[in-house]
Amino acid sequence: MAETIGYDEMVRMLRGAAEKVTTQHEMLSKLDAAIGDGDHGTAMRRAMVCLVKAVADNRSRDLASVLNDVGWAILSAGGGSTGPLFGTFFMGMGEAAAERATLDAAALAEAFEAALAAVRKQTKAEPGDKTMIDALVPAVEGLRAAVEEGLDPAEALERAADAAQQGAASTKDMLARFGKAKNLGRRTLGTPDPGATSVSLIFRGFADGLAAGGT
Amino acid sequence: MAMKKFINDPDNLVSELLEGYALLHAGKIRVTGSGMVVRAKPKDEGKVGVVTLGGSGHEPALSGFVGEGMLDISVAGEIFAAPGAPACLEALKAAERGAGVLFVVLNHPGDVLAANLTMEMAEKEGLNVKQLLTHEDIAGGPRSEPEQRRGLVGCIPLYKLVGAAAEAGRSLDEVLAIGDAYERNMATLAVAVTSATHPATGEAMFELADDEMEIGMGQHGEAGTGCTKLKSADETAETMLEMLLKDLNVQSGDQLLVMINGSGATTLMELFIIFRRVHQVLTEKGVKVACSRVAEDLTVQEMAGFQMHIGRLTDEMVDLWNAPCDTPFMTVR
Repeated sequence: MAETIGYDEMVRMLRGAAEKVTTQHEMLSKLDAAIGDGDHGTAMRRAMVCLVKAVADNRSRDLASVLNDVGWAILSAGGGSTGPLFGTFFMGMGEAAAERATLDAAALAEAFEAALAAVRKQTKAEPGDKTMIDALVPAVEGLRAAVEEGLDPAEALERAADAAQQGAASTKDMLARFGKAKNLGRRTLGTPDPGATSVSLIFRGFADGLAAGGT
Repeated sequence: MAMKKFINDPDNLVSELLEGYALLHAGKIRVTGSGMVVRAKPKDEGKVGVVTLGGSGHEPALSGFVGEGMLDISVAGEIFAAPGAPACLEALKAAERGAGVLFVVLNHPGDVLAANLTMEMAEKEGLNVKQLLTHEDIAGGPRSEPEQRRGLVGCIPLYKLVGAAAEAGRSLDEVLAIGDAYERNMATLAVAVTSATHPATGEAMFELADDEMEIGMGQHGEAGTGCTKLKSADETAETMLEMLLKDLNVQSGDQLLVMINGSGATTLMELFIIFRRVHQVLTEKGVKVACSRVAEDLTVQEMAGFQMHIGRLTDEMVDLWNAPCDTPFMTVR
């Protein structure tokens, strides 16, 4: 298994995330139609098209550079809240990866913690508010815990993906307090948050993407 | 019911509508590759620029008000979704004429996120930009909690006032002060009677029974103050106006701007009838309707309903409202 994440491994993770989200975009839009305006899947699909293009166009073989390009491309995709939140996520990772050729498990945890911090700077949403934060916080905490236990990056990412999935599922019983869904109040009960679901798909895609190319 | 709209590939909705709009109004505006609608003839050097951002699907808003005396640039996003911060940053730079730029943002989650990121980037680059947030939907929350209130059609008169002040050569601080003063003195309330279909997803945006209306509905179908049985034009107008007057604490002797904005499928016939009743009630109360507009400025596809907007005006604001402007959807000579 990969002991460290270099440029090629990161590209596999990014492409894995894009593939996972893209194949599920209709499901995301259905969730959003129930509690938002139904365009989250379309916005995420657009964001992932930008991600894939940014990865293809980036020939730097530099971790920070490809993450920064991906973040900027997703920001540029707009899409309401999707662009700013997911864009800053990748730009936060990129900043943490600056000057590093590879990320070991601890550095990977740091990069995800920086990504989470960048997102939290943009939104006042707290865990329990039925947003992407409800999947992102457990994913990053799960990854950190796995690293502390001595797991390698691939195993730690699997753990993060599981935690994100549970976090996303937990939003089903929450009352939305942010975004357009907030205005629907109790009508949001029973449907998981589309943004949290996207985070869960992205982490599963990271894990799958890394595993797919691993030896 | 299946969606009945004249569209092509939903992915190209925004690029195709902007293309048509640019061809139609080539003398007044042009559209750039990054979704910016800009004045065909840039503003003179030394004057404050006015920029806004917002999702598409609300035509003619927001880009219909780009032109002399109103907006310099409107950054158009996807359907009901804010554009990206990079495009907004590009717009702020393009609108700079040496006197700074006012960035008008409607209070919606995605718009605010994109705008805040843009402001961070603008600050890093040392741009002279001031942000003005509009939040006047009285159904969103009490006046003491402006962050709970959405930005509705009040942005249009606001563009007019700040645009006229900018065109008159006022400084960025002065333009901001005028905009801020109007923002604090405006109130809007929406009512919906039928839903709209999201043109990209084909899904109904909300549900309303045949004999119901919902007061306080947001412009994307966000829930309002609850459904009630459909009432007559006069009853509806009176109920909504009463809520607005109370919220703004309007007194006899005040002068107001009144706007009745159709949401897309409500006829001008109905809007005139509503406006007539609003005008009657205000006159009875000794409140002067100094400025008024009945139009479909900010629509929500084929939603039936309207937004009722009032704003308390100073004499200076009346002059700014009456100052010349030349945009595709508002012209004053």
